[in-house]
Amino acid sequence: MLSQAMFPWLLLTAAFLFTLGALGVLIRRNPLVVFMCIELMLNAVNLALVGYSSYLNSEEGQVFAFMVIVVAAAEVVVGLGLLTRVFSIGRELDVDDLDEMKQ
Amino acid sequence: MNVLLVILLILTAISALGVVFSAQTIYSALSLVLTVGLLAVVFLVLNAQFLFVVQLIVYAGAVMVLFVFIIALLDPAAEDRPRLLDLRLILGVLAVAALCTAVFIAARNNVTYDTSCTNQAVTCMHGYTVGSLAATGDSTADPFHTFGFPQNAVNQAGNVQTVANQLFHTYVLPFEITSLLLLVAAVGAVYLTRRVAVGPRRDPQAEQRWKDELVEGAE
Repeated sequence: MLSQAMFPWLLLTAAFLFTLGALGVLIRRNPLVVFMCIELMLNAVNLALVGYSSYLNSEEGQVFAFMVIVVAAAEVVVGLGLLTRVFSIGRELDVDDLDEMKQ
Repeated sequence: MNVLLVILLILTAISALGVVFSAQTIYSALSLVLTVGLLAVVFLVLNAQFLFVVQLIVYAGAVMVLFVFIIALLDPAAEDRPRLLDLRLILGVLAVAALCTAVFIAARNNVTYDTSCTNQAVTCMHGYTVGSLAATGDSTADPFHTFGFPQNAVNQAGNVQTVANQLFHTYVLPFEITSLLLLVAAVGAVYLTRRVAVGPRRDPQAEQRWKDELVEGAE
């Protein structure tokens, strides 16, 4: 389905999205944006999986992408639950402030 | 189709830039909605119709609504620009540059990945062969010529049927374990967001006002 000429560009886009997400996780301080950047990285992996699935003419990549979507949904539920808890005890939403685990 | 794919990939990259570099959280969320929607269309172009629908329902429908809801609930302030020459920023950019290089090198090397032998070896447990390279015979001269676009052996029975066959036959145990994962996530979210008993949650002034009104009404 996917032509040979397009496949490297698809992989490079996936790599770009993944590194962009990693950059966002490292430089942003709002934990909500950090979660969104994690979502971006998971979506980049999904793009690579579906691209390989189309390129190698095998549907297993789509099955794995489906699993990744399920894990991402579970991660968002727990992460946003944690954030509301942090907010409800009156803390500011800043990942540089929430560093008790380091000490 | 290639032109469409190029346009979609460029738009996806631009909207992903918006996720990382928007100062307002809600703009990041809306950029992510756009990114997720564009990726869904990319999945459609790549002949993954089932994932197209799942991506729209789960990501754009559920996850992003949850994000926007939490943003409306918490109302986070706009973030300052990241400080330049901050040690953490420099370390982050260096780490990302290293990661970027590694991923790009890996992507470059995998482009020459030899498909002619693996596709013959991958056979489904339930009868049908994944990939049609073995049937074409000429796979050594041009291992990619079966990927021209009207023909797609994987989807001959329909994309949903093919994916479901894998999910419920070959990968049935991981599929069931994901349901356990979702259950654990739901229980964890309920536990985390329950009402905490300690600490005053009531407003004493409002209570006093309410009592005063009661007294005035009685008089």
